[in-house]
Amino acid sequence: MMARALVSRLAPLLACLGLLAVWQAASLMLGTDSFPTAIEAIRAVPSILGDKESLINILASLRRMAIAFSAALLFAIPLGLMMGRSRLVASFFNPLLMITYPVPKAALMPIIMLWLGVGDLAKMLVIFLGVSLPVIYHSFQGAKAVEEKMLWSGAAMGLSAPQRMIRIVLPAALPEILTGCRTGLVLALITMVTSEMIARQSGAGNILFNALDMGQYDTVYAMIIIIGAMGIGFDAAFEKLRSRLVRWSEPGFDIPLSFA
Amino acid sequence: MKVLPSRPELRSEFAPASVMIEVDHVSQTFRTSGRQDHLALSDISLTIEDGAFVSILGPSGCGKSTLLYIVGGFVTPTEGEARVKGRAITGPGPDRGPVFQEFALFPWKTVLGNVMYGPRQQGVKSAEAEAQSRRLIEMVGLKGFENFYPKELSGGMKQRVALARTLAYHPAVLLMDEPFGALDAHTRTRLQNDLLNIWERDRKTVLFVTHSVDEAVFLSDKVVVMTRAPGRIKQIVDIELPRPRRRAELLLDPRYQKYVVEIERLIDDTSDDGVRP
Repeated sequence: MMARALVSRLAPLLACLGLLAVWQAASLMLGTDSFPTAIEAIRAVPSILGDKESLINILASLRRMAIAFSAALLFAIPLGLMMGRSRLVASFFNPLLMITYPVPKAALMPIIMLWLGVGDLAKMLVIFLGVSLPVIYHSFQGAKAVEEKMLWSGAAMGLSAPQRMIRIVLPAALPEILTGCRTGLVLALITMVTSEMIARQSGAGNILFNALDMGQYDTVYAMIIIIGAMGIGFDAAFEKLRSRLVRWSEPGFDIPLSFA
Repeated sequence: MKVLPSRPELRSEFAPASVMIEVDHVSQTFRTSGRQDHLALSDISLTIEDGAFVSILGPSGCGKSTLLYIVGGFVTPTEGEARVKGRAITGPGPDRGPVFQEFALFPWKTVLGNVMYGPRQQGVKSAEAEAQSRRLIEMVGLKGFENFYPKELSGGMKQRVALARTLAYHPAVLLMDEPFGALDAHTRTRLQNDLLNIWERDRKTVLFVTHSVDEAVFLSDKVVVMTRAPGRIKQIVDIELPRPRRRAELLLDPRYQKYVVEIERLIDDTSDDGVRP
């Protein structure tokens, strides 16, 4: 039993090690310059993180991502909630969202660069667009599903319509909203890197592509490892926050007592 | 159509009971997606005295819940007017507290948080609201469950919380919309008994929607029997059974049995469509 528990806990680690082993073997077998071994790539990670220039670049990326992500939440959550509770608002914004949803936000980057240049603003706008849509969608669904009787109960206690929105619709839809935010967070990272590949001026994506241009393949792979690790880290941290905030709605928490 | 309470002191000729709720020629039409509009309620007039326990009984789809929602202010009638203490009802208010079949608890709040919600909204200080709420939770039989979340509770327990949550902000009228409809028979019986015990203490005006004849007779001073859609009042039956009522005694009481049979006959009688004077 103990051994099995240990194996299941170590499983993710073992999977990672397995992947690295396959990588290492494949790289040694192929022996091309453009495919460094896993050990070479990992060895390049500390040198990137130790380099002041690279660090400034990565932090600039994260700063843009944080600002754009926050702005998107501040915009998307209220909009989604209003769409979920007002047929008028929904019928106005729904067609707009349906048109924008399938468009890859990075494809808008050239136009945005024409308007806003290659600076922070253009990149943040792309991230903002990428994050907004899933968050709007999930907030919309969450607000739509709020039980009418729950709102009536609040109204009978004397809550006004705006109070019901903030104090009933928002918490009731929170599990769904946070699901949207989690998707949004991963999309923020993706659009962040993509935007820096197109508008190459600074950032993590810029390091990656500069290294590629200069044939520093170990740096290219190391950056992929760093970006991937950031993604996993953000997602895990957010999941922890999410499950804390909506503990009351978690399945598994759902064990009704038998008592009249 | 007057509905008098069972409170003896209010029955006296010298001190007539004050009117709590008036429903004045109320009709309700719902827009449906089809071409025809659906007439849910047709010309309902009803007066309910302060302190009366009144049940609205009828087949499903007779608009009995709609009538309750109109009194609650959740639905605006197409025609006519409803009044509470003489004032026209224009929306929900803390003088009318609903209890729904679906419980409608706030799932992100604990039992205590749910019960405290109303008083806090009314501006009661936190410590005082908590003390009051704890007493109410004990009264509905949930002492020890204050910090549980709704998800962790059974249906009967949830409805107890919902009742306590509504009682907490001291509504003058309790509006109960098939509150025990989703519960199993055993739990329903227990909750009916407990509701009567709680009601005996302060005799709030109760408007109670149900489709169970037994439940209506057991609990009420008056039973308003409604017809099939469009809902009209078919007859109002006074339930003159002594209080406090004990289920075991009542089930053997021929008067109780007579009421049940009489009302069941009224409901089954579809040929008469409520046009009787």
